[in-house]
Amino acid sequence: MNVLGFAWRSLVRQPARSTLGILGVAAVGALLFDMLLLSQGLLLSMRGLLDRMGFDVRVVSSDQFPGPGPDLDDAQTLAAQIAGLPSVRSVVTIRSESADLQRAGGESVRVTFLGVGGSTVRPWTVVSGRDIAADRELVLNAYAAEELDAAPGDAVLVKAFCFPEDTAPPQQTFRIAGIAEFLFDAPDTLGAATTADDLALACAQEAGKADFVAVVSAGDPEAAAAAISAQHPDLRAMTNEQAVGQLQQRGFTYFRQISTVLSTVTVSFALLLITVLLTVSVNQRLGEVAALRAIGFSQRRVVLDVLCESVLIVGIGGGLSLPLGWLLAQWLDGILKRMPNIPVQLHFFVFEPNALAVHALLLGATAILAAVYPMRIVARLPIAATLRNETVS
Amino acid sequence: MKRRTFLLALSTTLIVAFSSAQTPEPPSILVSRQLAETEGLAEGDVVRLALDAAGAGARPFRIAGVYEPTPDPMRLGTVPREVRMHLPDLLALTSDDDAPTGAEHVARINIALADPANAHAFARSVNGRAPGVFARRAAATGSASTFVVLERFHLAIAVVTIVAATVFLLALTIMLVDERRETVGVLRLIGLPAPRILLQVLLEGLLIASAGALFGLALAWVSEGLINRFFQWRYNTALIFVQVTPRVAALCVAIAVPLGASATLAASWALMRRGALRLARR
Repeated sequence: MNVLGFAWRSLVRQPARSTLGILGVAAVGALLFDMLLLSQGLLLSMRGLLDRMGFDVRVVSSDQFPGPGPDLDDAQTLAAQIAGLPSVRSVVTIRSESADLQRAGGESVRVTFLGVGGSTVRPWTVVSGRDIAADRELVLNAYAAEELDAAPGDAVLVKAFCFPEDTAPPQQTFRIAGIAEFLFDAPDTLGAATTADDLALACAQEAGKADFVAVVSAGDPEAAAAAISAQHPDLRAMTNEQAVGQLQQRGFTYFRQISTVLSTVTVSFALLLITVLLTVSVNQRLGEVAALRAIGFSQRRVVLDVLCESVLIVGIGGGLSLPLGWLLAQWLDGILKRMPNIPVQLHFFVFEPNALAVHALLLGATAILAAVYPMRIVARLPIAATLRNETVS
Repeated sequence: MKRRTFLLALSTTLIVAFSSAQTPEPPSILVSRQLAETEGLAEGDVVRLALDAAGAGARPFRIAGVYEPTPDPMRLGTVPREVRMHLPDLLALTSDDDAPTGAEHVARINIALADPANAHAFARSVNGRAPGVFARRAAATGSASTFVVLERFHLAIAVVTIVAATVFLLALTIMLVDERRETVGVLRLIGLPAPRILLQVLLEGLLIASAGALFGLALAWVSEGLINRFFQWRYNTALIFVQVTPRVAALCVAIAVPLGASATLAASWALMRRGALRLARR
């Protein structure tokens, strides 16, 4: 019988303790897997959202990202200049302000009002109705439409708050073209969007200001960002990769830290407990091991038996921990996503193959390290004395 | 409004200039500890603040003190380089020279109500009476609060950890009880009834669980200081990351001790159902 088969029979012979050991490893492994998913989850999710917006490069007035940096003045001219670069395919200016929307006779609701200028690429997906096509049209997100009890085709009064001086801006009538989904919508966040010109109209200003300029590169975002930086050295052009890097440096660190701490604690916990399990188990079977040695089992063979038992417990537990961890991750993700202003499509726990590899590596190392002490006991076992003690007792 | 505040906070040019006797006493400001540390500022220093990086229109201010910003978990990783000043001084610094008097603006007004329970009604009343002003409750105290969510997350992690620990504990106690199978068999053979042995096992379990819980608490108290010091250094914040409160300690003991004792009892229960001779291997 090979070593693995023998170790398997040892485990099967003591089903209660083996099952509990495996379940314990599964629970600990699930937690470890989740912490690995959490360590990079937010960044991967944010990266995915930025990519899904369809833009490669963001041009902002300062290094502050994300955040309300100073406005870009004369954004239309800036967009036109950037659009002229050979490494750039299309350019969109994006501005956000607060606005009160009100249906005739209804209550007003405060929304985040986007104004998008430039190409026809839109940072939203229309889910009903149609996209904005004519002057003074807007799209609403589902929550805003629900709050306003409005549908495509309805008219709404828009009062935009673009500057603090505009305490009583003139109301403008807009028509709802459709209901749209914005990638960065948080639950209960009311949003609306129109063209940059119409937002400026609602603000009673000349069009031109923008929070940032979003760029679709011709295929090489790095080259596009470099060309924009060369053209406008006073501005900051960052690729999605660089934007995520900024996020990594300035925010999102809490979950990475907690993930590191909990991963360390989890692995230590697993190591300690599997070591104790195996050691107690081996101590109870010293007579049996001595008998095996006496009938011809080599020292290497009995040591390998212990190692294989450890590998089997950790291997089976680790295998079970993956589906268990995935279910647990969904639950924990649901808890964390109740934080205010977290976009619906942002996730804290995101699967990546690297997490799986690290999980396997850590559990593998745990299995080996946990078996070191019991293997040492077995290797140094005095055969004759142990058999004698066993017989006398 | 948000942009003007931002400009002031980030584009502020800070030039330390020691006060000169002939100029009038500049208005006083407070600077955040982090800003004071990075710029080498101290109480009594005179600094010049401007809205743009070039320092145009800079005005002098005297540092009246250094304050610790209220720790904000949402701004973890961002070092608060902040200045606090009296509102008239801020308006004087930010208003256009040609703006008529009385046209100054503020971003928001915080109001402390005599009865906080009236916050919603008060906000509705203000919104109805003052067009262009948006009133709302100052803080989310319900389930959406970040702190509440983080607490739930930590609780969920704790539950999973307890489940894993319980499973391991059961496995260990089963092995330990099994190791004492012969002793239990002999005790049964000399006349001790099963409930008496179970009571002994339960007391042993309680003792071990209590000792383990106390050791765990001691470990938590020691690691509390270390973890807080590390993360406070890492993020340059006064935020307290770990706090072992009497309530938390009591909760841990209340969970650990019964759990440990129950695991021992559960593991022994199966043993007691076997015959004494079989246990003693006779």
